[in-house]
Amino acid sequence: MKTRRDFLRATLLGASATWTVPMFVENTFAQLHNDSKDLATQAVTGKDGPILVVIQLAGGNDGLNTLVPFADDAYHKARPRLAKKEKDIIRLSDYCGLNSAMPWLGSQFKEGDLAILQGVGYPNPNRSHFVSTSIWETADPANRSNTGWLGRYFDNACSGSDPTVGISFSKTQPEAFGAVKNPGICLSSPELYRWINGNDDSKTAEEFFSELNRPDTPAEGNSIAMAAGGKTGVVRGESNLAFLERVALDAQVSSAKILEIASKHRTKVQYDGTPLARSLNLVGRMIAGKLPTRVFYVSHGGFDTHNNQMGTQDRLLGQLDSALKSFMADLKEQGAADRVVVMTFSEFGRRVGENASGGTDHGQGSCLFTLGQGVKGGLYGKYPSLTDLTQGDLKFNTDFRGIYATVLEDWLKTPSAPILKGSFNKLGFIG
Amino acid sequence: MLPQASDTWTIYEAAHLLNRAGFGGSPADIKAFHTLGRTKAVDSLLKPAVGPDEFSMPEWCSPEKMAEDMQQRIAQLRQVREATKNMTPEEAEKAKKNANQAEQKENRQHGIEGQGWWFRAMLHTKAPLREKMTLFWHDHFATSIQKVKQPVLLMMQNALFRRNATGNFRQLTHEIAKNPAMMLYLDTQNSKKGKPNENFAREVMELFTLGEGHYTEQDIREAARAFTGYQLNRQNGTVFHNKRMWDEGEKTVFGKTGKFDGDDIVNLIFEQPQAAKFMAAKLWEYFAAEDPPASAVDALATTFREANYEVAPLLREIFLSKQFYSDEVVRNQIKCPIQFLIGMLKQLELNQTPQGYTMIAQQQLGQVLFNPPNVAGWDWGKAWINTNTLLTRYNVAGFITKGADKAPDRPLPGEEPMAMADKDGSMEMQDEDGGGKGAGKALGKKATPERVAVATEVAARNWRGPDYDRIVPRELRKRHEDLVDSLALRFFQAPLADKNRKRFIAFAEEKEGVVFTNHEVAELVHLMLSTPEYQLV
Repeated sequence: MKTRRDFLRATLLGASATWTVPMFVENTFAQLHNDSKDLATQAVTGKDGPILVVIQLAGGNDGLNTLVPFADDAYHKARPRLAKKEKDIIRLSDYCGLNSAMPWLGSQFKEGDLAILQGVGYPNPNRSHFVSTSIWETADPANRSNTGWLGRYFDNACSGSDPTVGISFSKTQPEAFGAVKNPGICLSSPELYRWINGNDDSKTAEEFFSELNRPDTPAEGNSIAMAAGGKTGVVRGESNLAFLERVALDAQVSSAKILEIASKHRTKVQYDGTPLARSLNLVGRMIAGKLPTRVFYVSHGGFDTHNNQMGTQDRLLGQLDSALKSFMADLKEQGAADRVVVMTFSEFGRRVGENASGGTDHGQGSCLFTLGQGVKGGLYGKYPSLTDLTQGDLKFNTDFRGIYATVLEDWLKTPSAPILKGSFNKLGFIG
Repeated sequence: MLPQASDTWTIYEAAHLLNRAGFGGSPADIKAFHTLGRTKAVDSLLKPAVGPDEFSMPEWCSPEKMAEDMQQRIAQLRQVREATKNMTPEEAEKAKKNANQAEQKENRQHGIEGQGWWFRAMLHTKAPLREKMTLFWHDHFATSIQKVKQPVLLMMQNALFRRNATGNFRQLTHEIAKNPAMMLYLDTQNSKKGKPNENFAREVMELFTLGEGHYTEQDIREAARAFTGYQLNRQNGTVFHNKRMWDEGEKTVFGKTGKFDGDDIVNLIFEQPQAAKFMAAKLWEYFAAEDPPASAVDALATTFREANYEVAPLLREIFLSKQFYSDEVVRNQIKCPIQFLIGMLKQLELNQTPQGYTMIAQQQLGQVLFNPPNVAGWDWGKAWINTNTLLTRYNVAGFITKGADKAPDRPLPGEEPMAMADKDGSMEMQDEDGGGKGAGKALGKKATPERVAVATEVAARNWRGPDYDRIVPRELRKRHEDLVDSLALRFFQAPLADKNRKRFIAFAEEKEGVVFTNHEVAELVHLMLSTPEYQLV
């Protein structure tokens, strides 16, 4: 019988083994999950399963100038400088329209592939970027969870799958990926996502490297009694060394595979040079390469528009529109368009009234997009009143966890209650 | 008062203190530090022999030069305005653009110089704690060059942090409220009577002094009114309070009512006992360990309050405490990228870095000086590490340890340009050890993956790596166990885990040919640094 080490080596060096390595990670920490009996495990369907792409609009996107209530006098009154006129928008209803920086998304709305959720928020909103982002990413309005909603999905529904079940194209891991067992992986450039020895006799060095980065047993000092780590999604009681060893193993396992896939696939579709477009291009390549990835996560930053909002926000929304257009064309070309749903989110919306600097301050309640062939397009929820406000902010009427529940159950086909730790009303925008 | 440790200490404990209160050092540095004894060593950190002007800043950072530069810029703008009067709108647009580009180019160059200046100060300083605290304050009162755009203002702020590194926290908070870079970063200069901007008022409570949950939304709204009317003179970097723009009405903050201005708010904040607790906990986390026990925080907060928010007595108590040298603390902190880089250079006894390279490495590892991701500063601890950054650390180590001969082609991931490329491409910083050519030039604009690759190759061409003949004498190389133990002491300052020690020895044995050349030493060192253990300090 092969030892685990033989198995790992064979796998890492590219022999024809299946990718089930992190079973080992799971076993290593098995003593720590006594909650495993509550798992709602489903088989990960691998290369044909549904895919969710999450796009974070970081900084607090102003929903009012994204989905513009052009017919509302209160809107124009509150924003003498920032308000968009009817001629400047893509009209979606008698009341509201899309910011004209997003012509392609406008066309998708008309084709029925874009759903816009209105008035989204959560109870007792927090106006701190960090706390509110954390609330969205953990799906816990009390902000006490050490794991993220996507990380809990990996733990609950993707048991035994390899680390590429979740991929974030970023330097740092999103809090949403925080998981007990499998937090997914991060990378920014697949070609260089590997240990580079740069030597002629690299084989020996690489073998030693593998040994050094492959823990045999849980690291010393790892005990349940020890204090928990930060909010990055770590095993409770895991020491920093044990954490590092776990990441080192995941890096080794995933890098060989990512490298291989990335070198194979090139799309004919043109993407912009923006960071967001580059990231979505990579997502397209990973999907073409048939990774079993369920969730991709990319971030699009710069939405903290306290100052001269107009130009900045329009430009950022335009980048989003253009990047999504290329991405969807890419998926269509490879025949995967029906497998992907894109969801945007932002930590909060902005104040209804503009400030003296031609910008807007932190508010609450905003809109978000879901996009894809699996989406039932249209406007969901109710546009919040612009006159019945709470401390100058919109009152939310759609709990964001209802959106997560819809995506988890109707798109990713998994029970949402164990992941969201409660039941939330679904919104019907999938199907 | 936390229980204190005795004056006698081990070499490992000395290394621990130097690692945490500074950026570590060579074996010789640690040995010299150890002979001082614990108390004297701590005192030498708190009262360094050199002043905060140990290294003079680039010339463009002086107030005189700054005013001069600004005058020039204004004259230039006037010229452009005159010249464009008779142009077509298109020509005028182009002329304006050209003028802007010239300014952006200068800012970019200054940013590069400033960033390199600070990095080298950290590497060469004889006052390591002062630099470590300067980094702490930069993270705590985070301000980014991407928004501020004027490097000179960041450098002024940097000097402020260095002067007050272990000084008075309340005084520093007063000064930061009127610091030009901070005012631009958090929009205070646009905040006027009737239209207060809440950005600074919120962060001063949430992130700088009290923490989430220790103030109300009402406190923020009222405090924002008090912080109105502060205006920045961009010509000389001074700030004045324009009473006509100030909301002179009554405000109620923390239950007290008065016609407060910004200074009053800061004073009110420091009447809250939470201010001492918040900072005591944060400093313990920075120097010792995450999740400080409540008892330790209480003890330190008491010291801090009794010292009227002087930081030095608080740090002294931390560094002399038994707990600071306990098993939970020692070698259990994940290095931040700056610590990783500076510490590695010191351990390898490198006084110089490959041209432009440290800047690239900062970008790849997720911590660029003067460019924290947001006002909360960087995320620390486990957040530095993911599959991406861990592999990148290993590859950075490979580059530094091996030099040009063995440097792999394109040794670093070409990253998305997010770290540096701002909205209008106006700001880019680049460490420049050797003047305005090479890597800096290649990276002059946006750090696209292609540019990073080019810049790295330029850096590699001239990089010869550490002097292994000095670090690892030839005769030591014949004794594999001693060789490994000697290198382990240099890089880990702790006994190696047995299995890893055996692996390194096995590698050395496997590599032995006729001679154990620098090439093999470099490989062994790279392997040692390509381990989870090396990421800890």
